[in-house]
Formats: sequence, structure tokens, C-alpha cells
Amino acid sequence: MKFRNLLKKELSELITPQAIFSMIFTMVLLIFMGQIMGSAMEEGFDTSEINICNMDNTEFTEKVLSQLEEKGSKPNMVTISGEDYAAELERLDLNSVIVIPEGFADSILVDKKPAELRYVSELGIGFSGTMSSVSASDSVSAILDTATDEILLQTYGMNEDEIARIKEPVQTVEFTTFSGKTANISAMSLSSVLMMQSMIAPFVIFFLLMMASQMIMTAISTEKIDKTLETLLSAPVPRITVLMAKLVAAVIVALLNALSMMIGFFFYMTGMMGNVTDMVQTETTAVAEATGALNIAEAMNALGLSLGVGEYLLFGLQLFVTVAIGLAISLILGALAEDAKSVQNLTMPIMIMVMIPFFITMFMNVNEMSMGIKAVMYIIPFTHSYLAINNLMAGNMLLFWGGFVYQIIFFAVCMFFAVRIFTTDKIFTMTGALSEMFKKQQQPKAKK
Amino acid sequence: MANVLEVNGLTKEYKKGVRAANEVSFSVKEGEIFALIGPNGAGKTTTIRMISTLITPTSGDALVGGYSVVKQPDKVRECITYLPDEAGAYKTMTGNGYLKFMAGLFAKDKAEQEMFVNRAQQMCGLGDRLNEKIGGYSRGMIRKLLLSRAVMTAPKLAIMDEATSGLDVINALDIRRTIKNLAREQGMSFLLSSHNMLEIEYVSDRVGIITGGNLLVTGTIDELKQKYNAENLEEVFELVVNTK
Ligand SMILES: Nc1ncnc2c1ncn2[C@@H]1O[C@H](COP(=O)(O)OP(=O)(O)OP(=O)(O)O)[C@@H](O)[C@H]1O
Ligand SMILES: [Mg+2]
Repeated sequence: MKFRNLLKKELSELITPQAIFSMIFTMVLLIFMGQIMGSAMEEGFDTSEINICNMDNTEFTEKVLSQLEEKGSKPNMVTISGEDYAAELERLDLNSVIVIPEGFADSILVDKKPAELRYVSELGIGFSGTMSSVSASDSVSAILDTATDEILLQTYGMNEDEIARIKEPVQTVEFTTFSGKTANISAMSLSSVLMMQSMIAPFVIFFLLMMASQMIMTAISTEKIDKTLETLLSAPVPRITVLMAKLVAAVIVALLNALSMMIGFFFYMTGMMGNVTDMVQTETTAVAEATGALNIAEAMNALGLSLGVGEYLLFGLQLFVTVAIGLAISLILGALAEDAKSVQNLTMPIMIMVMIPFFITMFMNVNEMSMGIKAVMYIIPFTHSYLAINNLMAGNMLLFWGGFVYQIIFFAVCMFFAVRIFTTDKIFTMTGALSEMFKKQQQPKAKK
Repeated sequence: MANVLEVNGLTKEYKKGVRAANEVSFSVKEGEIFALIGPNGAGKTTTIRMISTLITPTSGDALVGGYSVVKQPDKVRECITYLPDEAGAYKTMTGNGYLKFMAGLFAKDKAEQEMFVNRAQQMCGLGDRLNEKIGGYSRGMIRKLLLSRAVMTAPKLAIMDEATSGLDVINALDIRRTIKNLAREQGMSFLLSSHNMLEIEYVSDRVGIITGGNLLVTGTIDELKQKYNAENLEEVFELVVNTK
């Protein structure tokens, strides 16, 4: 009954209307951002709209353009005068234009020389801007492609079959290997899917740790500063019960947050990546029929990349131990707090421990680093959390279990100290001793 | 009358060799109000925290209701309530919510919990404002809430560090009266600390003067006035501290 009473109090302190609002807000924001990013990418990849200024106006260029239309593009014909392209783009309110200069056909058909094709585009800044300049040059290659067809057709009198054979004399069949297994699929189509998986996990771990440790540190330090902790610990409740109520409440709230974050992030990634994956996938299915390539789900299974129920459970367990370590460290740090300002400073160690491995594991392969850095990385317990999902996918079970056992030991040690601090008078005497230590260190400096 | 509290040579060293409390010994009888008085840093809070089982003595012991604070702290906590100096309460809770929560930690069952809450509600004099969040309370209101919390369970010994600090004259008087009534009518014992001599002279039956961690003298106010041939407690205090 006393535990329930305490737990209820801790939960009501953590689950405030503001906390619920920020939880829902983050989730909605992520979903919303995914939609925006997705449509930006879609626009970027959309090659159907091309602005063309045809100054050549020959039968050849007309044919190329009608071929282009047949292939599904919608060339938007514009007229440009002079070479002040910046002014012209602005006048026509366009981002890019392809200029087919006068003499384009003659150069190819009569002089038999490479003809000039001009592509003018405004430098795009930001995500969608970059994407649209990439896709615009795609439309240039679409013109070149159709032009080549016309040349082969007109000057060499080839039929469509012959053209197709010349243009694609070889068909690439892609194989991808991963940790000793091989599957008949292109690596690119897989990595776009994998990116989604291997990004969700670290993000969730990162936010979970930040949230949980912030929560427990605030909970402990405000109780210390307001002296409600003294009142609580002089009541007839075992100290360990007080401590457990705090931890259980923090875990519950952290998991609620993780869940909302995971849902939000899932929609964010599917919103953003959905279109790209679709494009890659349709491309592969076309080739797949001819070459017997696998679809993505089949390939993931063949390479052992898809996680089974057991592996998901292991990952969940790992996540739990990760949060537990974060909580134990924050307990100790929170117990050191003396005033609101010192709480700010005390969050630094845990922030560093969470952030450094987050960024390093995201951009680098820890296993390929020099021995010294590798050792430092592996000593930070959260490195193992970020690497867990990759180790599980790659079947590096030794690394996974090694990290897991290390984390459990780390947790046990932290928890031992945390419980000791809370069940002895250290929780009240430690800060005094600490601040006196600081005073002594600062005094010689002040004299200089 | 039986002694509710018996303190025997309580000593605390936060740092080796520096005694914040040095061999402090005194006793508090049933229904008695005892006050520790002394200047800042004298060791009042240190002594009180040892008796409240929050910190462990370096040496010595104290018996509360016959239980040792060193060997049976769990039993001691069932006999006491502690009101820390300058304490706050959970800001997101309402006054009633706080009383209910704290009562839940002391009560054996729901009926007892309700009884505790009712008692505190009547004593604190906050009325309807008990339905508001504590975050919006003034210092005096919080102190009254905490004080009623500390006595609602009718503990054998209520320990209060600077019971009336931060309160205006009217509120301080109110609280002194409450403490006195509880001792007279319900036989509750109080261990107070203060450096406000006037307050102590009015409210307490016996006092102990502490400075530099040493408890120099104890006795009833009249005893001390006679012994030092002084007009009031302030003079006694000055004489004791200076002749040391
Ligand atoms: N946690 C601590 N660590 C180290 N020294 C401490 C600690 N708490 C108190 N002290 C020291 O112990 C001595 C007694 O302090 P204490 O708080 O008991 O005094 P006090 O009589 O309550 O004073 P005040 O009237 O200012 O509240 C002081 O010198 C103080 O600096
Ligand atoms: Mg004090």
C-alpha cells in the first residue's frame, strides 16, 4: 500500500499535462515532418516536368521532343531570348531550363560532331532545392537518350529491337553479401530500407536515455533542495521502497515516451523514405523478372538481416538495461545536487556519455578504430546500446553478449553505489563534503 | 513521567576530527516541549537529524520511545515526525493531495489515513485553499501545511527545526499556541530548535543551550534564569556562551 502510494505520487509528478503535451507534440511533429520531407523528395524526384527552349526547331529536335513525351515526360516549351539566363529564368519564373541551341540537329546529322545542349538551373539551397537540381540533370540525360535513339534510327536505319540491343548489350545482375551470406539483390535497394531500421534504434535509445536521466535527476534533486526528501525519509517507509518507487515511475514514463517516439519516428521514416523505397523497388521488380532477383523481404531473410522474435526480445531487454544504467547514474548525480544551478552542471557527465557514442556509432565503424579509441568507446556503456541492433542483425552474438554482460555489471556497480548513498546518510552528507572540496580547489586559484 | 527521548553522547564528525555535535546528552519527557537554542552553525540541525534517523551518529546513541536510532531506526520512525528547516512541499500537488499522500505513509489503513487528513485539515486553517496547488502557496501557508502534517499522526515525538522561521508575528504566535495546546491536551512531546529566544521562552518547558557542537547547559527556563541571575533567556544565553 505504501509503495502504491509512493508510486502514484512519483507518477503524478512526472506525468504532468506539460509532459503529456510534449510527448504528443513530438510524435505529431515527427509524423508531420516525415510527410513534408516525403513530399519534398517526391517533388525532387519528379522528372516529368521539364522546361525546354527549342531554338533549333528542326524535324530532328521535334522528333526527340515527341519521343520524350511518349516516354512520360511533359516538356514545357518556353522561349528564351539572349544569354542573360538569370534574368530570363526570373522573367519566366522557372528554376531550370534546357536550351537546345540553333544548329543542334545539323551538328549531329550533317557535321557528325557532338552537339551542344545547355542546361541552366538556379542553385537550390536546402533539402528540396538540392533534390530538384539533381533531378533536372536527369531530364538532360532523358533528352540525350532519346536523341541517341533518333540518331541510330535516322542515320543508321536501325529498328527498335536493334537499338535496344546496342544500348543494353549487358544486363547487370546484382548480388549482395552480408556477414557471410549472399543474396540476389542490389545493395542499394537494401540499404535504403536498412537505413530506416538502423536509425530508429539509436534515436529511440538517445531520447530515452536523455529523458529518463533528466527525469530522475530532477526528481531527486528537487526533493533534496525542497527538503521533501528529509520528510519522506524520516517517515516509516523503508528507504529502498522510496527509491524503487522513483525508479519504477521513471521506467514507466520513459517507456511511454519511447513508445510515442517510436511511433512518431516510424511514421517519419516511412513518410520520408516511402517514395524512395518505392522507386527503388519498382526498378528492381522489373529487372527481377528477368534475372530472378529477390524482393526486399526475401533478401533480408536470405541475408539474415530480418530480426526474429527472439532477437527483438533481446533488443528490448538490452534497451531496458540501457535505461536502467542511465537511471542508476542519474540517481547518483541527482544525489550530489545542492541547488538548481548545480543540477545543470551535474547533467553534463551523462549527456556526454550518451551523446558521444551516439554520433560516433552513427558515422563511424567502432570496430575499425584504433585500439585505444575502441577501448574508450567500449568502456562507455551506452556504446553497446547503440551497436546492439547492428550486432543482432549481423549475427555478431559474441559482441552482443559481451556488451550486454558488461552493461549488466556496470549497472550492478552503479546501483550498488546508488543504493548505498540512499540507505546511508551519504545522501545528506555527501554534498557538504563535495562543496568543501570544491572550495579548497578554488581558493588557490582566487589568490593568483 | 517516562522519557520519550533520551540522548546519550551523540557525536557527529562530517570531516575527521571536526565535531559538528560533541557528546550531546539530554532527555525529553512525555508531554514536554524541549528546545535546542544556539547560534548559527552550533550543531542544532546536526543533532536533530541524528535523532530523526536521517544521518548516523559517529558515536553515541539516542533512544526514542525506547528504540535506538542506531540499531532500530525503522521503529524510531514510527514514533516520530520531522519538520525540516525551510522545507517545501511537492508543488504540483494540492494541499489536500499532499496531506493524503503523507498520511498514507503513516497510516495502517484507509480509515486511519482519513482521520489523519481530517485532523490536519482542521488544524492548518487553510480552508478551501487546500484544494489549490502548493506551487501557489505563500511561505507561511506552506509552513502551516507542513506543521499540521507533522502533528496529524499524533507522534510520540514531533521534531521541528526552526518551527516558525519565515513566519510573520501573527502566524508565529498561532503556531506556538498550537504546539503548546498539543503538548498540554494530547501529551505530545516536542523537540524544537531556534535562535529566537523570545519564542522559546514562551513555548518551551525546558531548553538546552548549544554552541560549537557542545550542549553547555539544560534546564527549565526559571531554573536557568535563577542560576545565572538573569532577567530573560537572552541574557542567560549571552552569559552561558561568553563564560565558556
Ligand atoms: N553535510 C555537511 N557536511 C559537512 N559539514 C556540515 C554538513 N552539515 C553541517 N555541517 C557543519 O556542521 C556544523 C553544524 O551545522 P548545523 O547545520 O548542525 O548548525 P545549526 O545549529 O543547525 O545552524 P543554523 O542555526 O544555521 O541552522 C557547521 O559548522 C556546518 O558547517
Ligand atoms: Mg539548522
